[in-house]
Amino acid sequence: MQKRSDDCLIAYLDGEGDVSERREIEAWLDTDPAARDKLAALAQSAALVRSAFDEVMHEPLPDRLIAAARGERVSAETSAKIVPLRRGQGTGSTPAARTWWLGLPLAASLFGLLLGGAVAYLSVAKLLPGGIGGKQPAVEMAAADNLWLDNAVGYFKLAASAGDGALVDVPATGDAREAWQKISQSLPQEVRWPDLNLKPWGLNFRGARLVVADGRPAAQLMYTTDNKAIGPLTLIIGSSKEPDTPPTLARRQDVNLLYWRHQGRAYALVGQTDVGYLWGIANDVAWQLDAI
Amino acid sequence: MNIRFGDQLIAVLPRLRRFARGLTGSAVEADDLVQAACERALARQHQFQEGTRFDSWMFRIVQTIWIDQVRSRGIRKEDGEVAEERMGSDEAVRRVEARLALSEVRRAVDRLPPDQRTALLLVTVDGLSYKETAEIVGGPVGTIMSRLARARIALQLQLEAGGGMRRSTDNAEAQ
Repeated sequence: MQKRSDDCLIAYLDGEGDVSERREIEAWLDTDPAARDKLAALAQSAALVRSAFDEVMHEPLPDRLIAAARGERVSAETSAKIVPLRRGQGTGSTPAARTWWLGLPLAASLFGLLLGGAVAYLSVAKLLPGGIGGKQPAVEMAAADNLWLDNAVGYFKLAASAGDGALVDVPATGDAREAWQKISQSLPQEVRWPDLNLKPWGLNFRGARLVVADGRPAAQLMYTTDNKAIGPLTLIIGSSKEPDTPPTLARRQDVNLLYWRHQGRAYALVGQTDVGYLWGIANDVAWQLDAI
Repeated sequence: MNIRFGDQLIAVLPRLRRFARGLTGSAVEADDLVQAACERALARQHQFQEGTRFDSWMFRIVQTIWIDQVRSRGIRKEDGEVAEERMGSDEAVRRVEARLALSEVRRAVDRLPPDQRTALLLVTVDGLSYKETAEIVGGPVGTIMSRLARARIALQLQLEAGGGMRRSTDNAEAQ
C-alpha cells in the first residue's frame, strides 16, 4: 500500500501510476472528503496554469523563428521567398497588384475567370521590373509567389466572409468525389481528391470552385469546421511551370498560408489557424496526393 | 538542410514557444531562446536518433540552453509587467480582471525554482508523462514527482494567498 500523500494525489491527477495504485487512490478519495477537496483544488490550479500559457499556442509564429527553423537568416535579401515581401515593399505590391483579384471571383463562368486571370496576369507582369520572364529570376520568382499568395488569401477571404453563401462551382451536396471529378476535368492536369473529412481535423467539405492561380485555372476547395481553433480553410490546387519548392509558410494580413510546388502543381493551404494545424493538415494533403 | 527536419522543427515551434515563455517569463527572451534552440538543433541534427521523439529532443535542447543562461547570467527576473487597460464597460472590466488573474498565475509560475518550473511546464502544461519529463531533464522519475508536488503545492498557496484562483474562476467566462 502506498503512502497517502499530496504526491500521490498529484500523480493520480496527472494520470500516473498503474491500475492498482490508481484504485488505491480512488478508494482513499471515496472515504476522505478532505482528500477530494484537495484533489479538486489541485485540478483547478492545474487548469489555471494551462490557461495562463494557452494563448501562446494561438499566436502567429514570428518570421525569425520560421527562418531559424529552416536554417535561414531573416534579412531583406533572403526574405522574399521564405518570408514573402510585405505590402508596400518590393515588387508586386502596387495597388493594382494588391487588388486586381477582387473582381475575378465574381465572374460566373470559367471563361470569364480565365480571361480575367490572363489579363490580370499580363497587366501585373507589366508592372514588375523587367516583366515576368526577364533577367532576374530570384526577384521574379518572389514576385510570382507574392501574386499567387495574394490571390490565395483573397479567395480565402471571400470564401470565409461569405460563409454558407459562398459561391461554388461544385456544391458539396451528394457525392463529394463526383463533384471533384467535375471540377478536376477543367484543370490542366488530373488531380486526385484529398479527403479531409474523415481525419481528426473535423473538416466539412463545403464545395469547390474554379479560380485562377498563376494565370491558370486552379481548384479552390473550401472547408469549415466546428473547431474554433482551426476555423474555415481553403486549399488551392493549381498547375505551375515553376520549379518545385518545399512547403513554405507565409502570412498575409491576419491569414496564414502554407504553399508549395511539386511536379507541375502548386498548392496553397490557407486559413487563420495556427501553423501547427496548417502543417498537420498539409501533411495529410501531401500524403493523400503524394504532393510533397 | 534536410527538409523533413525543418518541417518537424516548425511543427513543434508553438509548443517550444509556450515552454520557453513559461521558463523565461518574457515573450522576447522566450523567442530568443527558441531561436537559439533551433540553431543548435540544426547544427546537431545528425545527433537526433530516428525513431525517438523529436519534440522531447527539442524540449531538452531548450531546457539545456536555458539552464546555461540561468547559470551564466544569474537571471532573476523582476515581477513581469502587467498590461494596464482602460476600462470602458463591465465586459471590459471582466476581461481585464481575467487577464490580470492569468498574469498572476504566470507570475506565480515565474517565482518557482527553475527545476520545479521546468517539471510543471512539461507535465502540467504540455501533458508529458513523468518518464518523458525525466528523460528531458536527465533525472529519475522520483525526482520529477517530488519537484512537481512541491511546485503544485507552492503554486496553489501563492494563488490562494493572492486570490488568483478565486478571481480566475469568477472570470473564467470572460476569457
